[in-house]
Amino acid sequence: MIAVLGLVVGVVAGLLVRPEVPAVVEPYLPIAVVAALDAVFGGLRAMLDGIFDDKVFVVSFLSNVVVAALIVFLGDKLGVGAQLSTGVVVVLGIRIFSNAAAIRRHVFRA
Amino acid sequence: MSNHDETPENRLRKELPEEVPADTAEPVEASAEQRTELTGRQRLVQGLWPPRVSRAQLIVALLLFGLGFGLAVQVASNSDGDSALRGARQEDLVRILDELDDRTQRLEDEKQGLEKQRDELENSSNQAEEARRQTVEKERQLGILAGTVAAQGPGITMTIDDTKGTVEADMLLDAIQELRAAGAEAIQVNGVRVVAGTYLTDSGNSVSVDGNKINAPYRFKVIGKPQDLEPALNIPGGVVQTLEKEQATVTIERSDKIVVDALRAVKRPDYARSSSQ
Repeated sequence: MIAVLGLVVGVVAGLLVRPEVPAVVEPYLPIAVVAALDAVFGGLRAMLDGIFDDKVFVVSFLSNVVVAALIVFLGDKLGVGAQLSTGVVVVLGIRIFSNAAAIRRHVFRA
Repeated sequence: MSNHDETPENRLRKELPEEVPADTAEPVEASAEQRTELTGRQRLVQGLWPPRVSRAQLIVALLLFGLGFGLAVQVASNSDGDSALRGARQEDLVRILDELDDRTQRLEDEKQGLEKQRDELENSSNQAEEARRQTVEKERQLGILAGTVAAQGPGITMTIDDTKGTVEADMLLDAIQELRAAGAEAIQVNGVRVVAGTYLTDSGNSVSVDGNKINAPYRFKVIGKPQDLEPALNIPGGVVQTLEKEQATVTIERSDKIVVDALRAVKRPDYARSSSQ
């Protein structure tokens, strides 16, 4: 419950504060958000499976974000930033979908 | 048929729930589920409703706060007014910039062409205006000579009173010649404008100017420099003395404003044509 409240408060704060995104992190923010979403869906699935562990969640969340940003950074340096971003988004999207499918089976039994 | 159709569906439906745990459930999860004997849904409800403040909940809340914050910031910055360029990649931006430069160049060229055209038009209209002004000015000057416009300026008035009827046309002509030689610019005699083609004839006791009979006293209104005109008439053996010999009285008055308002109709020459142009 508090976790859900944290998400809601985060969204509201982001909308209210509307901070200027620093130019340095601007290219990485979208990918980082998608990676974090992937981690959250994975965590939700683990919770439903009954194997949720906060330590694992924290590590996977942070590593997802860092690795995604790193890949984009590397892609930008190599000149294939756009393609690599697309690749990362596709992979994370597939994982999110499979996790969402598992969650759906738990919640709706279908 | 319908039975046949339904049975495979029913089978599928029955099979799916069986398959799903087999697919997703790893050995650990299976054992956990057996241990706690809770379904996922029950766990979700449990986790949601009585809100518990635990370390795990707080950490997850913190992370989710970060996620929500980043999400909202990204969405907000993406839906800003100038977001079309913000999300664009460098190559696209360079291309857009190039296109804008090209466009600017084209418009600049077009602007220069139009400005040049405008200048030309302005010049030509200025020239036309100047030419028209000069033409009007010239017409006015020529009109004074041709007697088609009235003239005014400094000059003299000469009145020849001829009580004996002895003044003849050649005397008046001498007077006119003398005035012209002294720089008279516009002359009229008793309401008849004296121009280049003016002729004087005797008619009985009086004189005709261009066929208009005029009677004494003859009043000459002359525009010119009075200091030149009056001495020219008064020189010894000149016009005035000749006339006084014939017992006519001549009075000359200088004036700052003489109005010569007798006019000639504009007459187009029948034979003479301008040889210029």
